[in-house]
Amino acid sequence: MYNYLLDKERLRYCYQCGKCSSGCDVNRLDGSFQPHRLLHLISIGAIDKVLKSADIWKCTTCFTCSERCPQGIRVTDILWNMRAMAVKSGHIPELLVHQREVLLKAGRLYSVGPIDNKKRGKAGLNAIPEEHPVIAKIFEISEVED
Amino acid sequence: MRYAFYIGCTIPVKALKYEISTRSLTGSLGIELIDIPEFSCCGYPVRSMDFFTSLVMSARNLAIAEKKGLDIIGICTGCMAILSEAKEYLEDPIIRNKVNKKLKALGIKEYTGSVKVKHLARFLYEDYGFDRLRERIIKPLNSLEFGVHYGCHYMKPTSAYGHFDDPSNPATLDELINLTGATTIDYPNKNLCCGFTIMGHAEELGLRLAAEKLECLSNIGVDAMALACPSCCIAYENNQKVVGKRTGKEFDLPVLYFTQIVGLSIGLEEEKLGFEFNRIKVDRIAKKLARD
Repeated sequence: MYNYLLDKERLRYCYQCGKCSSGCDVNRLDGSFQPHRLLHLISIGAIDKVLKSADIWKCTTCFTCSERCPQGIRVTDILWNMRAMAVKSGHIPELLVHQREVLLKAGRLYSVGPIDNKKRGKAGLNAIPEEHPVIAKIFEISEVED
Repeated sequence: MRYAFYIGCTIPVKALKYEISTRSLTGSLGIELIDIPEFSCCGYPVRSMDFFTSLVMSARNLAIAEKKGLDIIGICTGCMAILSEAKEYLEDPIIRNKVNKKLKALGIKEYTGSVKVKHLARFLYEDYGFDRLRERIIKPLNSLEFGVHYGCHYMKPTSAYGHFDDPSNPATLDELINLTGATTIDYPNKNLCCGFTIMGHAEELGLRLAAEKLECLSNIGVDAMALACPSCCIAYENNQKVVGKRTGKEFDLPVLYFTQIVGLSIGLEEEKLGFEFNRIKVDRIAKKLARD
């Protein structure tokens, strides 16, 4: 499934024009972040280099590169997938470890406690559930898919 | 007009003014938003952990709405982009079948693809209709000038959004704000990303992105920024002081959700639009409106 999804993202159609990098606002601020270079490294099989790089965590997922690509490559999705591969190979940023913990418990990106619900009540809003066990189950049955 | 309300993770905890103003506005317009407690996270953060798991999570949310026979309205652009892009990937029968097998294991029959997903602003534009909305405007905001920030995920990826609006020259939110009588300006970095999504991974870069737009709009001197996404609001409003400190600047730019702006124009009171939760004070705006 993993390779199938990558194939849908059309990586092999990249001819290194660099339009993704030239339209990237992160690249404008930090010249070392070059989406087309990352695509090149993946294409030639130097994927380890990509997974270890801090660069994949600099993408804002704004989708501008995907929109600009003359070959219809889903550049953002490819870089996003590299993060997931990095995580699987043990390169996990601290923030993600925390996010995962909260997600598994709360089913949401932010934990909801009694204080939050009290604040909501005061503002005339309904309480929201503090736990959502189905998320742990989704991870359990889906993550094993290769 | 009944819809499944996709509130997402951020809004009920960190964007109460957005939720309050949305509920007041839709209630007043006769758009019934049904809360669905079974909904979970859309799958956005999970894309960085495992793409397939993220797709299953998105599909589960979509299938729950389908089962209830309701289309989805949301107010977080990130959630709308992830759910819409998941719909696009799920058009592939191989992916859909794999995902549906997982949904069965979760006790959900299947995802068919029939459910529609729309941001509330897009819904007002395409479905509710601006002509109908115009008739409701009893307190025009003629004296106000806004800089609209769309948020990347409002219209991108365009393939997932059926090419709704133009990412290089977006117009629908401007038109919505203009409907209230307020002016909106074109400005140089209108299409710039807020930087929120990397503030946890590459903080410096994220803050610099936010600073650029805050500086541009402050220099122009608009009354406020108008936006449609809780993450962008955190970047520009909650973090405004931090952004200023780290980039050596001082900002005092109010940030309003489009629901608060449209709400004011149809005559809803400030308390019903969550203005008490605006961190950058909106006194100047209130004063201007009082003079009108």
